[in-house]
Amino acid sequence: MSRKRAYRSKMRILADMMRAIQSEGEEGAGPTKILYAANLSHDRLTQYLDELVEKELVKEAGDGESNRVYHLTEKGRDFLREFVKMEKFSEAFGIDI
Amino acid sequence: MQAEAIALIRLDLLFESISGVIAMIIAFYATKAYNLTEQKRLSDLSTGFLVLSIGMFSHVIGTWYFYVRLGLEVPIPELATTMTVVTLTYHFLQIMAYLLFVLSTRRGGRVKQPEMAMLMALPILIDVDLELITIFVMLVVVLQALLNYALVRSRFALYVLGGFFLIFLSHIFLITAEENVFRYLVSQALQLLGFLTLLLMVYKVGRME
Repeated sequence: MSRKRAYRSKMRILADMMRAIQSEGEEGAGPTKILYAANLSHDRLTQYLDELVEKELVKEAGDGESNRVYHLTEKGRDFLREFVKMEKFSEAFGIDI
Repeated sequence: MQAEAIALIRLDLLFESISGVIAMIIAFYATKAYNLTEQKRLSDLSTGFLVLSIGMFSHVIGTWYFYVRLGLEVPIPELATTMTVVTLTYHFLQIMAYLLFVLSTRRGGRVKQPEMAMLMALPILIDVDLELITIFVMLVVVLQALLNYALVRSRFALYVLGGFFLIFLSHIFLITAEENVFRYLVSQALQLLGFLTLLLMVYKVGRME
């Protein structure tokens, strides 16, 4: 039986983006990788990446559009760890976030 | 005989107090999850556990005051009426809490406000035994938890199913207890076990790396 997720909250999208960045490890993730992994449009990706950088959850590195990569900050790692716990807690009660 | 009865009541109150504290811990955790994820259903779940713990504590305080502090078999009718009000309030809050569980853990779209208000008014609208309503609502909660476990197959969902099932079972024992003190205590012990199972889930989630 598969679960259909009709709606993703903004927090969930941000967490999906951060998960995509984390999965790339030390090298960091480029915008295209994040875009595909988090299943986002380009406009949304830019908007949310700016928000993540502004909140200091993610840091930008590399010069130029093509070389730009993103890394999780310590604050970002803490946020993601906490988010995963809350995700499991909610899932246990049948609540999608 | 009276000392023995008071000892049993104290044990009952201890079970209920621990369950109340656990309900509060879960409410706190659900609020924390709500603040992080902004999922409204988590707020409803938190309110449910909070209402439940308030009900439990009011029952504990009422029972302790009337049966332990003032002594058993108080011959003043006014006090008996007050105790009945305390018990009814407890049942009412319990049903409110379980309805909030039904609404917050149900799959599909969010419940509309009028529908929610209708469900919350159920104990007032239907003039039947409150304990029967409690059992019926709790059965829905258990079935939803079972459906959720069948879908997600996670050990955390299994803990929730186990916890809710034990609480449901405690109501079955309670309705069949009547004058049987032992069955009543088993019912309270089952309720405590149910809350401990839910607490174990929260603990295991908190220890996740």
